[in-house]
Amino acid sequence: MSPTSRKWLRVFFAGPGAVIIAMVVMAGMALWLPRGAAQIDNLVLPLVLVPLIWAALFFHACLDRRLGRVAIVAIGLLLIHGGLVAHKFMNRPPAAGEQAK
Amino acid sequence: MIHLPKEETKLMVAVHGWSGILLGLLLYAVVITGMAAVFAEEIGAWSAGHVETQSAFERPFDKAVRELGARTPAKYHEGVDLFEIGDHNLGAFFHRHETDPDGKFVSRGIYYQLDRDGRIEQELHGTGEEVFQPRNDDALSHFLIDTHVRLHVPDPWGLLLTGILGLAMLVAAISGLLIHRHLFKDIFTLRRKANPVLVDRDRHSVAGTWSLPFAFILAFTGSFFSFFGTIGVPIVAMAAFGGDVQALNDAVFGNPAKPDARPVAVGNLDRIAADSIQRAGGPPIFVAVENYGRADAMVTSFHDPKAGAIEPMTLLYNGTTAEFDRAKPSIGTRPSAGGTLAAIMSPLHFGNFAGLLSKAVWFGLGFAMCYVTLTGLRLWLVRRREAGRALAWLERTVAVVGFGLPLALVVAAAAFLVAMPAGSAVFWTPTAFLAASAVAILGGILMRSADAISRLLQIATGAIMLVLPALRLATGGPGWGQAIGAGQPVIAALDLAFMVAGLWMLWRVFGAHRRRDDLPLSANLQAAE
Repeated sequence: MSPTSRKWLRVFFAGPGAVIIAMVVMAGMALWLPRGAAQIDNLVLPLVLVPLIWAALFFHACLDRRLGRVAIVAIGLLLIHGGLVAHKFMNRPPAAGEQAK
Repeated sequence: MIHLPKEETKLMVAVHGWSGILLGLLLYAVVITGMAAVFAEEIGAWSAGHVETQSAFERPFDKAVRELGARTPAKYHEGVDLFEIGDHNLGAFFHRHETDPDGKFVSRGIYYQLDRDGRIEQELHGTGEEVFQPRNDDALSHFLIDTHVRLHVPDPWGLLLTGILGLAMLVAAISGLLIHRHLFKDIFTLRRKANPVLVDRDRHSVAGTWSLPFAFILAFTGSFFSFFGTIGVPIVAMAAFGGDVQALNDAVFGNPAKPDARPVAVGNLDRIAADSIQRAGGPPIFVAVENYGRADAMVTSFHDPKAGAIEPMTLLYNGTTAEFDRAKPSIGTRPSAGGTLAAIMSPLHFGNFAGLLSKAVWFGLGFAMCYVTLTGLRLWLVRRREAGRALAWLERTVAVVGFGLPLALVVAAAAFLVAMPAGSAVFWTPTAFLAASAVAILGGILMRSADAISRLLQIATGAIMLVLPALRLATGGPGWGQAIGAGQPVIAALDLAFMVAGLWMLWRVFGAHRRRDDLPLSANLQAAE
């Protein structure tokens, strides 16, 4: 891959990529984080931590010399958390109207 | 200290510079209004001449709320929010939660504004967003807060914009930490007699380094608040509750109990308020009644943190018997890591956890951040000029925004003082701000020298600050003796603060800094370094 392509790929992971992945991680975290004593940690912690998750993704994309590792971490997080959300939606009980059919 | 390799350090310097250049001026607007908004409550009392010191919850209010409940349709009894408005009067919002046709989750109901004797002054119907508009006596503090929170851009775009600015500040703070090679040395290096540019750079570095942890906290908590309702809640509600925002709110903020819709009169709210004051050591800042007039009614009173604590205090009462149930966390039904972390975001952002002292510290650090943003922009421009790539238009823009914004804010304050007695402050406060901004922008277009614009704007700001206390008195505001006698020394303190700040600004222009300011901004950076 040419240096220019690598540069733009890095810009993508640090820019729109970090935003999209932070959103998907926030959604996915609500499904695997422990609920805690008050049964709300899984709902509240993703909301609180999302700016830090974004910052971590941004600086990782900027500072890690191995672009492959940046891609693996970013795409890995995206697939794991996106998969969790998709799984939750696919296993959702059908609505009353659909059940009647 | 963190030692990055040369290439990464270079990249971080670029990230630090560009995050400031691209969003620095907007960030400056958010930080300077946030700095003033730390004292929004005090500015509200100063500007409107409020001398009442007894909270609305320390006076009987049960009868008034009961009468409001009787005249309000039962469909709006789902929730009643009680809070203070104006000069410690009571505001009551009877409402229910519903989803708008466009899918937006809203509270709709009737908002009553009461006078000191509990009579209805104004009755507004609509959603929370529609009814909670500025009033004649809080137009100035409302304007400050609205500028800080959403830069007057309609929701959700304004909140998204300030959220992005918060992220830019987070990037600037972290990259600022990473590019410091000599962090501890930089904290104390201030060469007063060096080349002007080097002095500027030292000041930027010292102010920036000291306020680095603060910048990080503000950026983190600020972006949390901006993204919480706009993006965060809908996404987490979608993942955990199939998009049901009400279910998420109930899980996080609600007080789960077995539903019981039998009609039962609400318990004595005066008794609840008195008990909560005794337990929390101060009056509530907010009281929420769930299921008003039903057997399963609950009353929650929210208080500022107790002395020495950082987490706000929340007390729960049985809504029909008025008996104390328990002290509960602000978020969630039991103490938890997530609830505590979310609860301390507010005191950390607003700096109100230790009264005026913490507010003063937050104000000072906010000022340091404004200084860092402005000097950072100016240093970047000097570097460009040294490299033969001067951006005269940007230099003038920085001068217009940097010094025009404080001017527009004090002009808005002056307009509020003049317009409030006539009942037209809601119109004139933002209008005066826009007019002053337009004059500053026109000056930036017509005048060729950024230094001359800066000087002129500082003189105007300093002069208006000096005039503000006299204007307040001339328009019917309470005198120092009356304010101090009524237990509101903050009015006299703010008068003094405006006079000192005005004198300081004029002294900066005409006094000790004159020789330095006369030197061109483009003094040799290379020689300085």
